[in-house]
Amino acid sequence: MSLLEQSPYELTATQKTPALINELKQLSQHHIKACPAYARLVSVQWPRFTADDSALELKDIPWLSVRLFKQFSLQSVSEQQVFKTLYSSGTTGTPSRIVLDADTAAVQSRILVKIMQQWLGKQRLPMLIIDCPSVIKDRANFSARGAGIQGLSFMGRNHCFALNDDMSPNWPAVTEFCERFADGPVLIFGFTFMVWQHWLEQLVDQNIQLHLPQGILIHSGGWKKLEQIAVSNSVFKQQVKRLTGVERVHNFYGMVEQVGAIFVECEHGYLHCPSYADVLVRVPGSWQLANNEQQGVLQLLSTLPHSYPGHSLLTEDRGVIHGEDNCKCGRKGKYFSVLGRLPKSEARGCSDTYQAAGAL
Amino acid sequence: MSIEWLNFSESPALACSAFTEQDLEYCQALSRALLTQNNIKQFPDLVALGYWLRRSNLTHLLAAYRHRDVIYRPLGMVYHSTPSNVDSLFAYSGILSLLCGNANIIRLSNRSGGSTEVLIKAISVLAKEFPQQNARLQLIRCAREDHELSLLISQVDARVLWGSDSAIQAQRIHTIPAHARELAFGHKYSLCLLDATVILDASEQEVIQLAQDFLKDQLTFSQQGCSSAKTLVWLGDSSSIADAKQRFWSQLDITVNDKQWLEERNFYDAFANAQQLILLDNSIQGFQQHSWCCRLSASHLTDIQAQEHSGNGLFVEVELTELNQLTPMLKHYHQTLSYWGIESVKLQDWFAEQVVGIDRVVPVGQALNFDLVWDGMELVSMFSRQSRMLV
Repeated sequence: MSLLEQSPYELTATQKTPALINELKQLSQHHIKACPAYARLVSVQWPRFTADDSALELKDIPWLSVRLFKQFSLQSVSEQQVFKTLYSSGTTGTPSRIVLDADTAAVQSRILVKIMQQWLGKQRLPMLIIDCPSVIKDRANFSARGAGIQGLSFMGRNHCFALNDDMSPNWPAVTEFCERFADGPVLIFGFTFMVWQHWLEQLVDQNIQLHLPQGILIHSGGWKKLEQIAVSNSVFKQQVKRLTGVERVHNFYGMVEQVGAIFVECEHGYLHCPSYADVLVRVPGSWQLANNEQQGVLQLLSTLPHSYPGHSLLTEDRGVIHGEDNCKCGRKGKYFSVLGRLPKSEARGCSDTYQAAGAL
Repeated sequence: MSIEWLNFSESPALACSAFTEQDLEYCQALSRALLTQNNIKQFPDLVALGYWLRRSNLTHLLAAYRHRDVIYRPLGMVYHSTPSNVDSLFAYSGILSLLCGNANIIRLSNRSGGSTEVLIKAISVLAKEFPQQNARLQLIRCAREDHELSLLISQVDARVLWGSDSAIQAQRIHTIPAHARELAFGHKYSLCLLDATVILDASEQEVIQLAQDFLKDQLTFSQQGCSSAKTLVWLGDSSSIADAKQRFWSQLDITVNDKQWLEERNFYDAFANAQQLILLDNSIQGFQQHSWCCRLSASHLTDIQAQEHSGNGLFVEVELTELNQLTPMLKHYHQTLSYWGIESVKLQDWFAEQVVGIDRVVPVGQALNFDLVWDGMELVSMFSRQSRMLV
């Protein structure tokens, strides 16, 4: 059974887990052969790892700190095979660099569509993008924001960018979009903080009330900035409903290091693993697996990354798994919550890096 | 951008004679102010500083300088730029320079932690009672590139730079007067030397004490103090080392629970740093995870370890059969060698012959103790003009 051919939310653990272990083992083996740095790491840290081991569990799949993609160029394809390079949108420090070949890029798009169809239906919907057009200009070198928008835009038609390149609302375009499509279902997509700051707050400022009763808002990108200004998920949803009439709001969790197999929030507020991906929660320090409802650091597993060894990554996000196959929404698979970033350690040390000002 | 004066003084900052009674009194008062703080137990570095500042201790330390055939005079105005890793370190160099009679301006890191705030408060409270001393111990905060700071530095008689190599180099854009001297305390890397056989023969009580001392040295500043060991050098044949490691690490796993040394973020940083080092450094051959730290086994010491190891509970271990094998691996940046179980005669003989690196050799448990000789410099002499009068 190839997981990629399965529907996103129908496999139970007994069906999914063995297939997932098998595919991740094969992927690990592939990257050992194709990426010398990955092979070196596995040989030192998991010297007994072998893909032939039938007793292997999910927790035994080697896992990389997501930070390594900022520090090293980790790829399992030759330079000639590089089709697209993705960069994380981090405003500070070095961005992650993710190398895609044509196959991996295609699989990412295909799976993203497959997952989103579960939430949006098969029809392409008129799509309002809460961002500016310039974010997807450079097609070969996407930021995470650009990649997200590019990926999701497959789900829509009659794309309308709600913002100008200076991030001010493009009211004429928005008005026209609403006049044409407000009667039917529409897809609204944006990054959480952009939606809040450049969209909802602007609607408040301008005293504008939109009416998109059949709209579905999909948003992603983390709550950190919103938590700083004390905006919770429920406040966010209330504001969306009040200002735009949109009642269906789904957050999703994903990262540029694992584009495609995203985790979408259900009607009960939980993020769901699709068949092609999974999460583990590890206790910082021992890095043993946490129990359900025990907080820890999220490890993400995805069967998609073939051109770079990113199929098993230890994120810097804290999270908690609530259960598997028994969410009230009826979807199978694990469901979980993200609890935010690990707090930054105090930058201390004789070897602290001095962020030089200007040309220093 | 401008300079923020944290304990601003109306009095002029004038250098005065070295080792005066009033300065010692000030130190005693600061010691009392620190040690009587309610929450001082949370800041082991301040407890250590409080004890160091006691008049009896300082009198004892300075006695050696009072009866020499040279007279110690102040340099004048000394500028100190402090590191962010060991919050209270600035106090040692600042106070010593004060005792040498100098007027001091101490630039604190913007990132310094909780114990710095406690110290600033204690110093501010004493300002009224000791206006002269307060004027000569001015704490400031400002950007490294600040124009006002540049002007100030252009008039000093000495500059003391603590921090990473890049931070030190960056600060050298400010020129100091031709006559001024500079003390640079740059990036350092420290080692802990352990004898396998002696650990195997030790009593349980001795091993417990070793574990406590080791953890204090290494984890007080999340393994980021420059004298905290990042690499363990094991001495012995491979089978005794294997057994000694087993005994040592099992004890650490128990003793570490006495206190919350590290936080989630440290655990993540140690793990990520371990993976980074595995990819960067081919000398690394093995990895082991404990509930509170990561261990890497390496065939030898490397520059990459020294540059990229960022503490947080990550220990590199190398194995040697002879102490002499350590010598060719040592570099200028190797600072403290803390040791346990090594026969002192053997260690002295080795140290006498050894030329490159290693500024201090101390028993495990004393790695963080401040010494008047630091990074190869005798600080009282560095903060003074030594003059002689022939009659």
